[in-house]
Amino acid sequence: MSESAEKPLLEVRDLAVSFFTPDGVVSAVQGVSFAIGRGRTLALVGESGSGKTVTAYSILRLIQPPGRITGGRILLRSARAGDIELADLGEEDELLYRVRGGLVSMIFQEPMTALSPVHTVGSQIAEAILLHQKRTVKEARELTIEMLGKVGMPLPSVCYYQYPHELSGGMRQRVVIAMALVCKPELLIADEPTTALDVTIQAQILGLIKTLQRELGCAVLLITHDFGVVAQMADDVAVMHRGIVVESGDVRSVLKAPQHAYTRSLLDALPSRRRPA
Amino acid sequence: MTGGTEGMDGRPLLSVRGLTKHFPVMSRGFRRSVLATVKAVDAVSFELAAGETLGLVGESGSGKTTTARCILRAIDPTAGSVMFRLPDGRTVDLVKLTGGELKPIRQHAQMVFQDPVSSLNPRMTVGDIVGEPLVIHRLARGEELAGRVAEVLVRVGLQPEHSRRYPHAFSGGQRQRIGIARALIMQPSLIVCDEATSALDVSVQAQVLDLLKELQREFRLTYLFVAHNLDVVRNFCDRVAVMRKGRIVELAPTARIFSDPQHAYTKILLSAVPSPDPDVRMNFNVGDELAKLDAADQS
Repeated sequence: MSESAEKPLLEVRDLAVSFFTPDGVVSAVQGVSFAIGRGRTLALVGESGSGKTVTAYSILRLIQPPGRITGGRILLRSARAGDIELADLGEEDELLYRVRGGLVSMIFQEPMTALSPVHTVGSQIAEAILLHQKRTVKEARELTIEMLGKVGMPLPSVCYYQYPHELSGGMRQRVVIAMALVCKPELLIADEPTTALDVTIQAQILGLIKTLQRELGCAVLLITHDFGVVAQMADDVAVMHRGIVVESGDVRSVLKAPQHAYTRSLLDALPSRRRPA
Repeated sequence: MTGGTEGMDGRPLLSVRGLTKHFPVMSRGFRRSVLATVKAVDAVSFELAAGETLGLVGESGSGKTTTARCILRAIDPTAGSVMFRLPDGRTVDLVKLTGGELKPIRQHAQMVFQDPVSSLNPRMTVGDIVGEPLVIHRLARGEELAGRVAEVLVRVGLQPEHSRRYPHAFSGGQRQRIGIARALIMQPSLIVCDEATSALDVSVQAQVLDLLKELQREFRLTYLFVAHNLDVVRNFCDRVAVMRKGRIVELAPTARIFSDPQHAYTKILLSAVPSPDPDVRMNFNVGDELAKLDAADQS
C-alpha cells in the first residue's frame, strides 16, 4: 500500500477498443497509454471522433456492444480497495459496482442524461450514498443536503425535493457534480462537463470542480476539446487524434511548445491565435 | 473596415431602432390571463454598414437570437423599426411590411443556422435544398437552376456531384457549407449567421470562418454574426454588440471591446473566457460578480 502511494493512481497501457459493426471493424482507440497521479488533473483533448470519450468510457467499462476492449490494461491503484485491473473485470463483477460511482465517478456533457427525470434531485444523490456506504436513509438525506450546499445550490433543503426539469443547465450540472463527488471518489472523470454551458456558468462550474477536487484530494480526468479549459484546469495533457495519443506532457510545455504537427495545427486553429483573415 | 457605419451613399444597409419583443407569460387553466411579460428584446438599436460584420454576443437567454429573428421577421417584433436598404436604393421598414410585401425582399436577407443537422431537410437532396429558394422565388428553373446550384456548391468548397446526395452523407462542416450555399444562391446583401460555427470542431470552424470571410470580400456581403463564443467574434467581426437581458449593454469596435471594455458585464464576460495560455488565469469567481451586478440592477 505504501509503495502504491508513489505510483500513479490510474495507469492505462496500450488500450485498444474496436467496434464490430456489420460493415466491418472500426478501431476507435488503438494503443492509448497515459497515467494520472493522485490529486492531479489530466486533460484528454482532441476533436470529435478522436477516441477521447471511448477512452474515458473504457475506464468505467461502459463500452457497449458492438464495441469491445480488445487489448491493453487499465490499472487503478485504489487507496481504499487496493490494485484493480479494470480491463479484466467481468461485466457482473462485484468489484466493478464498487468502482462505478464509488472509487471512480463520472460527469457527462449533458446533465439530463445523467439525471432521472422522474426522481427528485435529492433522492438520486441519496441513492448513490446508500449504494456505496453503510448509512441510514436519514444520514444519507443529511449528507445529500450538505453536498448540495457544497456545490453551491441555493436553499439545498428545498433543492432536495426538486426535479431536474425545474433547474437550469448550470444548476443541473452542479447536481451531477454533487452526485459524482458525494461518495468521495479517488478519480473523477469529467466528459466535456461545461461544453453545453455559457462562459460565465462554465467559469463557475470549473471553479467548483477545482475547489472540490482540492478538498477531496481526488484526481480528475478531464475530457475536452477546448484548449482554454485545458490550460486553466489541467496539470498534464494528452492530445488524441484518430485513436492514438499523439503528444502528452505537462500543460505548460505542450501548449507553449507543441512538438507534434497535429497539436500545432489544433492550436493554430484556435480563433484567438489566428490573425484576422 | 473599422468603425464606419455608412454605406457608399452614406446610408447604412440596416438600421435597427428600438426593436422590442415581449412574450406574455400566461396563467394556467381555461381563462388564460397574462401574468407577466418577458422582455426578450428590449429597445435594441444599432446600424450595420454594407460590407461590415457586426457580432451580437451574449449568453443564452440574452435575446441575441430573438433579435436576429425579429430582424428577418421570422417572428414579429412588438415594437421598433428595421430599416433595410434594398439593392435598388429604396429603404423599407421590414417591421411594417405584410407577408406578401416581405416575400420579394426576403431574397436579399438570408440566414445560416446553428444546427447543421436540423436545418437541412433529410428527405431532400442537397441540390433541392440549395436550389429551393430560387424555385420559391421563381428565379430559375431547369438547366439554369441546376447550373446555378452547381456553381454555388463549387463556390462553398463542395462538388457539383454532391447535389444528388442527401444531407446525411455529409460531415458537420460540409453541412454548414450546404447551409451557406443555400443562403448565397439568392445573392443576398445581408446574411444573419445564428451561431453558424458553434457546433463545429475548432479546425472545421476555422475553415468555415475562412470561407465566410472570402465570400464577404467577393460578394460584398454584410454579416450579422450571432455567437456566444467570444474568441470567434474577436477575429471575425468589425464591431461587437454585447447583449444582456434583452438589451445591448455595449457596442464598440471589436478591438476596443476586448482591450478596453466599458460595461461591467462585458468585463465579467471577458474574464470568464478560459485562455489557452496557462499563464493567463481565468476568473473563476464570476458568480459573485454577476450577483453583485444583478443586485445593482434591482436597486
